Amino acid sequence: MQIKDKVKAFHDGALSRRDMLNGLAAIGVGVAMAPILPRTARAAGSDAIYFTWGGYDIPDLFKPYIEKHGEAPSFATFGGSEEGLTKMRAGYVVDVSHPCNQAVPRWVATGLFQTADPSRLSNWSDVIPSLYELEGNMADGRPYMVPMEWGQTSVTYRTDLVDLQGEPESWGILWDERYKGRLGSLASAADAWWVGAIYAGVDFENMASDEAFEKIAAVMREQRPLIRTYTDETTSLEQALASGEMVAAMTWNESAAALKNQGLPVKFAAPKEGALTWVCGAMIHKEAPNIDLAHDIIDSLISTDTGKFLIGEYGYGHSNAKSFEAFSEEDLAAKGLSSNPNDILAAGKFQIPQSQEFETRMNQEFENIKAGF
Amino acid sequence: MVDATSLSEPELTESRPRGGRLATLFRRSESLRGYALLSPTLAVMALAMCAPTAMMVALSFWVQSGFDITMTFTLDNYAKVFTNPIFEALFLRTLMISGTCALATVLISYPMAYYVAFHVHRRKLAWVIMMTLPFWTSYLLRVFSWKVVLGYNGAINSGLMSLGLISEPLEFLLYSPEAVIITLAHAWAAFAILPIYVSLEKIDRSLLEAAADLGDGAVARFLRITLPLSMPGVIAALLLIFIPTFGDFVTPALVGGPDGMMLANIVQKMFGKLNDWPLGSALAISMMIIVSIMCGGLIWVTRQIKERAI
Repeated sequence: MQIKDKVKAFHDGALSRRDMLNGLAAIGVGVAMAPILPRTARAAGSDAIYFTWGGYDIPDLFKPYIEKHGEAPSFATFGGSEEGLTKMRAGYVVDVSHPCNQAVPRWVATGLFQTADPSRLSNWSDVIPSLYELEGNMADGRPYMVPMEWGQTSVTYRTDLVDLQGEPESWGILWDERYKGRLGSLASAADAWWVGAIYAGVDFENMASDEAFEKIAAVMREQRPLIRTYTDETTSLEQALASGEMVAAMTWNESAAALKNQGLPVKFAAPKEGALTWVCGAMIHKEAPNIDLAHDIIDSLISTDTGKFLIGEYGYGHSNAKSFEAFSEEDLAAKGLSSNPNDILAAGKFQIPQSQEFETRMNQEFENIKAGF
Repeated sequence: MVDATSLSEPELTESRPRGGRLATLFRRSESLRGYALLSPTLAVMALAMCAPTAMMVALSFWVQSGFDITMTFTLDNYAKVFTNPIFEALFLRTLMISGTCALATVLISYPMAYYVAFHVHRRKLAWVIMMTLPFWTSYLLRVFSWKVVLGYNGAINSGLMSLGLISEPLEFLLYSPEAVIITLAHAWAAFAILPIYVSLEKIDRSLLEAAADLGDGAVARFLRITLPLSMPGVIAALLLIFIPTFGDFVTPALVGGPDGMMLANIVQKMFGKLNDWPLGSALAISMMIIVSIMCGGLIWVTRQIKERAI
């Protein structure tokens, strides 16, 4: 029976039960096979998994990898690195993941990760040493986290909607009553809580003390009624800023760069209290099934191709010193970057690793505050 | 069924003595055959429902310490669930949101189901399928489309602004408990329409004629016959919507904003960045028990009312 006949028979109510079941079975088999087919077709290629933040799951970061293996690795994404860590602790095995400096010692302590072998990374010699010589990162000259990008958490604000009244830029924009309900914030405490610390004037060295904790909690509570939404999706914040729904939001460099590239009147503030600064990078899972591909992923992430993309499109600093050669100092300064990362990182407030107890306490308190307590 | 087997049983065993003991038992026992037929479902239920639930129950009595879970029995997690004011407030909010949502959905769906059951005479199936159209797209997609509709520059706001009814976009439309209710009510509408439609369809039309003959007007007919007879569908719809929306976390996470967070969002965070699986399990199980009690209560109350009516 031809398909057309079948449809007509169905229409006329003349389709026999057997024909009907045959048709349904065919559809069922087809649907069930659909997810299997592309997989087997793909099995010949690479299947290494890169577990990262949404926004880094794009082929543009993997030019050298694609040249070598024909296609980008598989991606899995998380909204915040704590969420990623929890998934991996629950048994999700990936090849490479993407933590930031303040999380490194805790990630290492889980025993879920292994060091990378610098001799297998062709770009290693160009990586700026100050970015990997971090607390708890090196073991026998091998890095756990191979630094990829560095940047800031700061305020992206609409220059046409926020009136600074001649004052210097400040984190205070996000605590300004005048903009109640038109401010946005990142949802993860790994950014927001630290910003609270800066705004409350807490020294990062004393971050874990009870007094500092109360002080930060107080400013976060003060801010909560002003915030329209807390989100981990940077796109939501960018769209809200673009439409004027929000006048200012806590973001990373990336959001400001994306909005600026669209020609919107936004600025990535250099708060007088100092921006929050960090370095993030790639870490290999202890049981990574494709250890060679894992190194290729990392080598691609620290290549100048990737660096130029990250600096140009996302406005992040890169770990490869040569990536900056394509940009003039003015270009970089306009993006809030410099070819010497220390200029920027030290000028801001650089995150310091904390204990797991602190991390849990901070996350719980911040969730309580977000929920209105 | 029972009569049939008790009659045929002796006959079966006597006339066919061959086969092992097991086979005989199998042939003799109605319930064993029933379980055999059910076995694929039972296996799936045991593996995919009972085992994880049992694990959750076990987990809820243990303690999270750092990255590990200590297997010492404790009731601390439940103590926290019932004493921490944050859970109480979130519970009340969740109850308000899913309760309102269930009521609103039933109120909206009833007229639709009524129309199709009583006033559509041709191609009823097509109508029913049309009403379940929202279900043809993914749940997530529907939530995102509501984000577009309710958003600051969304369909409703720009429509009202171009009509000159408002000068500033309405901000409560998105990122609020109301947004969660609207989105959920739309997403679950089919679950209300279908049971209500079925119960309306079953109503014997001659009852309505009889009522009319005895002098009842349209409104009285509806209140005295249609509504009471469609109550099973309404109750089923209320439960079908209340139970799943009580545990929904995607919708509030996407359109709820800080004031639209529900209990399930906290549970999800407990298993995520809050890193406290035992407390999350205790919370989830408490939710399950409370919802079961509430639904059991609703069913009990309606049964009482029904019996009194008879």
